[in-house]
Amino acid sequence: MPDFGDHVDNTIFSQILEMDESEADRDFSGPLVLNFFEQAIETFQKMEDALSEKDLNTLSSLGHFLKGSSATLGFNKIRDSCQVIQQYGHQLTVDGSTEPDENVCLQKITDALKAVKVDTKELDKAMKKFFEVTE
Amino acid sequence: MATPQPLGSPVNGNGSGAATGDHDHDTPPTSLPPTPPPALALAPSSSTDLRSHLPDLALLFDLTPLPQLILSPSCAITRASARFLADWGVTVDQCVGRDLLSFLQAYLQPLGDPTGHIAASIDDAVSSRAVRTTKAIYRHASSWIARIIPVFKEDELLAIVTEWRESPVALADQELFKPGLSNDEAFRILVQAVKDYAIFLLDTNGRIATWNTGAELLKGYKRDEIIGQHFSVFYGKEDLDIGKPGMELEICLREGRVEDEGWRYKKDGTRFWANVTITAVYKDGVHVGFGKVTRDLSEHKSAESRLIRAYEESEKLKSDFLANMSHEIRTPMHGILSACSLLIDNPLSERQRDIVNIMDESGQVLLQVINDILDYSKLASGSFSITSDIVGVSSIVASVVRSVQATLPPAVHFELFLSPELPKSVQGDPLRYRQILQNIISNAAKFTEKGSIRVRATVQEEDEKSYLILTEVTDTGIGIPEHATASLFTPFTQYDITTTKRYKGTGLGLSIARSLAELMEGRIGYRPNPDRHGSIFWFTARFKKIKSLEQIKNWQQRGFNPDGSPLEVPSADAPARVSELADSASTKTLLLVEDNVINQKVMLGLLRSLGFKNTALASNGAEAVNMVCGKPAAYDLVLMDINMPILDGHEAATRIREHGIRVPIVAMTAYALKGDRERCLEHGMDDYIPKPVDKKNLIKTLARWLLETRDYRLPPIDVSADNSVIPTSDKVQPIVEVTDKQVGQDGDTPVIQ
Repeated sequence: MPDFGDHVDNTIFSQILEMDESEADRDFSGPLVLNFFEQAIETFQKMEDALSEKDLNTLSSLGHFLKGSSATLGFNKIRDSCQVIQQYGHQLTVDGSTEPDENVCLQKITDALKAVKVDTKELDKAMKKFFEVTE
Repeated sequence: MATPQPLGSPVNGNGSGAATGDHDHDTPPTSLPPTPPPALALAPSSSTDLRSHLPDLALLFDLTPLPQLILSPSCAITRASARFLADWGVTVDQCVGRDLLSFLQAYLQPLGDPTGHIAASIDDAVSSRAVRTTKAIYRHASSWIARIIPVFKEDELLAIVTEWRESPVALADQELFKPGLSNDEAFRILVQAVKDYAIFLLDTNGRIATWNTGAELLKGYKRDEIIGQHFSVFYGKEDLDIGKPGMELEICLREGRVEDEGWRYKKDGTRFWANVTITAVYKDGVHVGFGKVTRDLSEHKSAESRLIRAYEESEKLKSDFLANMSHEIRTPMHGILSACSLLIDNPLSERQRDIVNIMDESGQVLLQVINDILDYSKLASGSFSITSDIVGVSSIVASVVRSVQATLPPAVHFELFLSPELPKSVQGDPLRYRQILQNIISNAAKFTEKGSIRVRATVQEEDEKSYLILTEVTDTGIGIPEHATASLFTPFTQYDITTTKRYKGTGLGLSIARSLAELMEGRIGYRPNPDRHGSIFWFTARFKKIKSLEQIKNWQQRGFNPDGSPLEVPSADAPARVSELADSASTKTLLLVEDNVINQKVMLGLLRSLGFKNTALASNGAEAVNMVCGKPAAYDLVLMDINMPILDGHEAATRIREHGIRVPIVAMTAYALKGDRERCLEHGMDDYIPKPVDKKNLIKTLARWLLETRDYRLPPIDVSADNSVIPTSDKVQPIVEVTDKQVGQDGDTPVIQ
């Protein structure tokens, strides 16, 4: 298994890979990861929309949603950014203390979204290479 | 009428004249010789020496101590003795010279005409030349009889001497109705003769003074053996221990009388159910004793207890019937509701959608009604049990408020006050606490159109072992009219017809809430909102303190295993478990509840890799509730995501439990916060695994619930012998039915709800 660096939790991801019936086909994990990136891009779009409406609640639940699937696959970097978005959507810092300033929260989310998009793009590339899928 | 004798001695049995003491005289009843003494023979013309020594005969007659009259042969009164004048209270002029019969008519009571038999007696005496005694005649309060003594000189009737005396009352039947019979005598006869009542007198100390036939028959004591004994001899040990006889006399003195029903004992030791009345008896304002009347109510009593038994039996039958029927109805109802919700998800025309919505809504109402009746009948038959689980009062209150909040009109807002003193976790029945709260808050929401609903939870009492938690719900709704407050908690009442029409419900909710609160050693109540229009409903519930974390752990293991068997068994090593799990996996059906497609796929993949091929999917809590309740025995285990749209995992688990379905529910949550596990358990879930789900963790958890825990569809171990007919295959029909039949059979059987 290639090293995805701090992008991926290898233990978790290898469990996903183990579910493939054949290492040559990877017809379980391949489509799954592909689906994840589709879901991620869809979610980012929704996040952008919610950001423009300053809808913190929606941002929080979108953050939670993508955090769930990224965590399941072991995509830790994406997961961590989603956690930031979820927390600030609840007007909480990552430590769990209150952040009463809505603008601070929106700014933090904007930053995190930007970062997670970059991370996702990087990982997408590495995964596609791994699964030998051409765009 | 009372006798002057002390009550300690028996009333003079044959006394008659005693009542008429003012007419007492010393005349012995037999003072007259059978034949007239020679002195009375009138022989004025022939005098001898001897005769000269005699006193004047007229004077002799006048002074004789007998009340006598001398009559002429034609019955005119010619002479009256001084004693007669005194006894009858008449003067010489009033009687001498008058005809006897007209004299008697004038001086006797105008009741009947006694003169007929007097005349007859005189005729008889004269014609037979013998002494005759008349029947009694009545004057004032006494009766008199006369001896008629005809005096003849050869064939010539010289005179008739009559001697009058008060007669002993003859006890002939008709005598009772004659006015001269003393009241005392009549009552004595009455009391003595009564057989159905024991009637007797006690002296001031409670010693038995008199005894009638009824007493003898009822209590079995002869008069001689009971007189003088204390009346407590009739009482049983229990009554004696609490000093009942003395108490009764005390109350009797204070109140004038006392009545009691209870067991009394006969001489032979057998007992009878008695009605006893004791009356204080006074003579001239002085307390002289007690009158006691005892009646045997044994027949009455046994008829009464037969009636009560029949009533209780029919009550139980009714409750059992309701419980069974509710179950029979509930199962297909779930089917209808599931079908409805599937139908709603299809493309429908607007009209079709309206119709399906009506079906769905009516079905929900009907289901609520059935659930209420089921709860009520279980509560009424006493077969409702309170489970012992971990309870987080604050989170339950918050969760109920959240669930109701969604249904509120915008003009109503919630205020939630949770006292900082509230303990984090306590031991009790979280579902039942929740049920009461849900009921009260839903009511508040139903009847409040604007303003606020304030929910307040505080600790009312705390002792070493427990907390008494007070939960108050104050609304600004329509309130409750004063006349309706009394019946608020009575089953099947809704306080207003107009309300019933507008707000649907069975009218059972509050009565169920009251019974539940009482089961939790609490109370429930209502008062008007003092600030403004609206109501305050409050209830208390007692929860045990949890002493240590170890206890929580132990207790959880106990509490969440439906049959009470230990949850943890020595763990087999992992590969052995995997193969063991794989062996049984193909027969198991799981339900995965997860909203994220990626997670769904991964979990399905994981499960498939462990051999689980039959896994159903629900993408939110509402779907999961419908699926589980639609097929209450279909799933072996539910894997439940927590944070989901529409209905979250906590709420879904709570609802599944509220339907009485005990399927193991394992929460999957990314939360790693302290207390998350407790929260899951509070909502009725059995276990949890952290997300992302680790394969080893999943194996361990699945093995625990699928291999090591008794199937929730099986009856509890302690009654399994009685339920051998219950199939154990996966095709077993709704488990809820099984549990409630057990409830019907044996109120003490733990309910698997």
